[in-house]
Amino acid sequence: MPESGLIADLSYRGYDGPLLPPTHRWWVIARMGVRQAFRKRAYWVVTALSAWYYLVMMAVLFFFERAAQSAPGARGEAGFEAFIGRIVWKDQFLHGFGFAQLLYLIAALMLGAGAIANDNRSKALLVILSKPCDKRDYLAGKWMGVFLPLLTMMLIPPLVFFVYGALSYRDYGFLDNPWFFPKFLIVLVLGAAVHTSLVIGISSLFDQGRLAGASYAGIYFLTNFFTQLMVFAWLDSQVFLWGGARGGAGQSPFAEYVDRLYYVSIDGLLIGLCKAILGTDGSPQFGMPSPIRPVPAPPLLATLLVALALCAAGVAVAWSRIRAVEVVR
Amino acid sequence: MVASLQNLTVRYGSFTALDSLSAEIPEGCVGLLGPNGAGKTTLIKTMLGFLTPAGGGGLVLGLDIRTQGREIRQKVGLMPEQDCHIPGLNAVQFVAFAGELAGMPSELALRRAHEVLEYCGLGEARYRNVETYSTGMKQRIKLAQALVHGPSLLLLDEPTNGLDPRGREEMLDLIRSVSHGKGVNVIVSSHLLPDVERVCDHVVVVSRGKVTEQGAIARLKVIEGRPIDIELKEESPEFVRALRDLGATVEATGLVLRVRLEGSAEQVSATIFRTARQTGAQVRGLAVAQRSLEGVFEEAVRA
Amino acid sequence: MIKLQSVSHWYGQVIGVNDVTCTIGPGVTALLGMNGAGKTTMMRLITGQIRANTGSVRVLGHDPFANPEVYRLLGYCPDVDAFYETMTGREFVTLMARLAGFSAPEAKRRADEAIDRVGMADRADRRLAGYSKGMRQRIKLAQAMIHDPRIILLDEPLNGLDPGGRREFILLLRHLADEGKLILVSSHILFEVEQMTRSILLLHRGRLRATGDLRVIRELIDRHPHRIRIETPHPRALAARLVEWPFVLSVSLEAGGEALEIQTREPDRFYGSLPELVEQGLVILGLSSPDNNLESVFRYLVEA
Repeated sequence: MPESGLIADLSYRGYDGPLLPPTHRWWVIARMGVRQAFRKRAYWVVTALSAWYYLVMMAVLFFFERAAQSAPGARGEAGFEAFIGRIVWKDQFLHGFGFAQLLYLIAALMLGAGAIANDNRSKALLVILSKPCDKRDYLAGKWMGVFLPLLTMMLIPPLVFFVYGALSYRDYGFLDNPWFFPKFLIVLVLGAAVHTSLVIGISSLFDQGRLAGASYAGIYFLTNFFTQLMVFAWLDSQVFLWGGARGGAGQSPFAEYVDRLYYVSIDGLLIGLCKAILGTDGSPQFGMPSPIRPVPAPPLLATLLVALALCAAGVAVAWSRIRAVEVVR
Repeated sequence: MVASLQNLTVRYGSFTALDSLSAEIPEGCVGLLGPNGAGKTTLIKTMLGFLTPAGGGGLVLGLDIRTQGREIRQKVGLMPEQDCHIPGLNAVQFVAFAGELAGMPSELALRRAHEVLEYCGLGEARYRNVETYSTGMKQRIKLAQALVHGPSLLLLDEPTNGLDPRGREEMLDLIRSVSHGKGVNVIVSSHLLPDVERVCDHVVVVSRGKVTEQGAIARLKVIEGRPIDIELKEESPEFVRALRDLGATVEATGLVLRVRLEGSAEQVSATIFRTARQTGAQVRGLAVAQRSLEGVFEEAVRA
Repeated sequence: MIKLQSVSHWYGQVIGVNDVTCTIGPGVTALLGMNGAGKTTMMRLITGQIRANTGSVRVLGHDPFANPEVYRLLGYCPDVDAFYETMTGREFVTLMARLAGFSAPEAKRRADEAIDRVGMADRADRRLAGYSKGMRQRIKLAQAMIHDPRIILLDEPLNGLDPGGRREFILLLRHLADEGKLILVSSHILFEVEQMTRSILLLHRGRLRATGDLRVIRELIDRHPHRIRIETPHPRALAARLVEWPFVLSVSLEAGGEALEIQTREPDRFYGSLPELVEQGLVILGLSSPDNNLESVFRYLVEA
């Protein structure tokens, strides 16, 4: 709009408009991360895939109930009753969480591996830090930019299952002790926080997203491998060499170590945390009867401390690696 | 004064990058010169409040560099030397993001991004992905993101890097128009001295962590006694001899003569043309001799 | 020494160079052009990295494409920075010397000599990862020189050097040219190119726009008559007189009232007639020719 006279001066003018306070800065960076996440098709695919246990359970329950109702006589009903009786509802969430661990890893990699690594490579850090935006805002923004999409993804399937269960299986004791769900949400928050902190910490060490992602995946699978060994030892103590012959839970020489070391992996830690917070040792998956006793839950305080320590470690590594200044002699 | 620094000492471990450096940077357009490794980049980073000095201090735009780094960066725009962009974004998104990082609300940032990109000469290309840009366009985006929040001081680090001759001219014109037309203070750090001469009115020379020369370019280039440089069409020893006979000191290098002669500018010029006419020499160039900026730089660095 | 005859090369639909014919002899020649004009393509054709789609390229009589004979005679200093970052500068140059076929002691001797010549003798034992841009440029030149080639091609060699370094580099190139080598430099920094040479090769959109001596080319650009700037305290009075001369095509007064600019196709005649005006009392305090430099010539040749 011409201000004086008939021809407007469209050349450069200074900015003297409103400015938002500095506490808002991290959100600008976080929002960029969230937007980039939601735009990826792969993100939604992984979210859908992570729901697989819940979907299976919902299908099993639905069709079993339907089959029981249409089957002749009380036999069908009794079968269904027996089945439902074996199901501990809160454990279904534990299983859902447990079976989705690999997908959570994939999501964390997808969202976070490049988070800081890409900025390192493209030197975007210099632009960001040359604005009135300091390390704190940057790190908080990046962290939230990974955490929020990851949490959203972890939240949607259990939420859907919860609503389904609350509506359909109230008579079967679904809402007997509803406090398990808020506790479960805390598990999700902690789980997302651990993944986010670790992946952000590792991302800040590299300047290629691929390398950072490969490193995190490597650590994950290495510890996972260790845990699988433990699973084998546990099964072994229950069933194979030592168990059957001597009756009941066997006296495998590994037994006393197994339940302590079972949770020494990233997914193990998270599953352990889930068990500890929900207050359950777990029950057979899919409501199938099984002679194998589940691994008991680890102590709550210890697990919580380890999880928080990992979060702190990841964030500390990222903090120390974010620099605006490179020294070149 | 845009910035005044006193006894600034900055160390990286045991290496002293800035050694008790003091400088007064005036308003307008200032060139920051210095050999590689002299401490120019360190100085810029210290002025932005990234580095805490081990000793000394200073003010930039009236704000303390030790304690008010964030406020300084609110009012300063940096155009870095390296390429820096966020992959996956186009120019508008990138510049708007930069604006938001400076605290602008998002719609204002977007509008301003368009304005600034227009000013920097990026037309339709602003909707394309930044990775597809040519060097010239990338330089313009870097300038745009530095200008988006309306800073009072612009720091430009090698702004013509990689630009072809036309791009260089356009960039220099842009810088000149922002500094002389719009009242934004500019500090240009560059190795290309003619570019600096074209755009800046003052220079500060940094060498081995100290400021070894600073002042207005016009003043630094003055040579005592106002000698005159003459360029001839062909070498003419008679011309040289005739001038010497009149009491002038003449240094001849090929077709260029440096002449020192008593008298006012008009008198000297009249004498020269008269002598040329008499000896049959043809004068093709006549100017008050000045030190080249390169000469000033070399002396400052050798000191 | 280098001869291109109707050379064209394209990348799919994009033309790199279009029907270029030229000859380049010993001494320093500047290869100029806007970004995308075909300079890198031309360098690649000469160094034998690509083969022309049409026409012929001859380097010292041989076709350079995939021809080790020619590689022996060429040194190439490319734009890119691709080094083995964990090596030191000296190790890298020695490695290049070994790759060129010299024995270990010979390679070491040549590497040391080359490093010395480019002024890196005191810094060559540091790892390449820590080098500044300027240091990298010197190492690149060292590795291009070690086998004493007759032709050296450099793509933007002055990038990143500080003013002192630039001057040294230019001097070094002139020395090399004095030894009879052919030095082809591609650069955008025209005022420096001017200090290196007057012999230019200008490409525009793939085609050869001009080749030869800068001054001669300037004369030939008729569309732009010579501009001459005169500083005087009385511009209008002087203008009134200058306008009378038939070979003065235009007179324009500069804002500020201290100078004027004329255009003429006959600079010789103009300069020759000036002293007469001074005799008649008009004052001329400064005389210069603003478009008699490479930048202006480039601009004139490249516009539309």
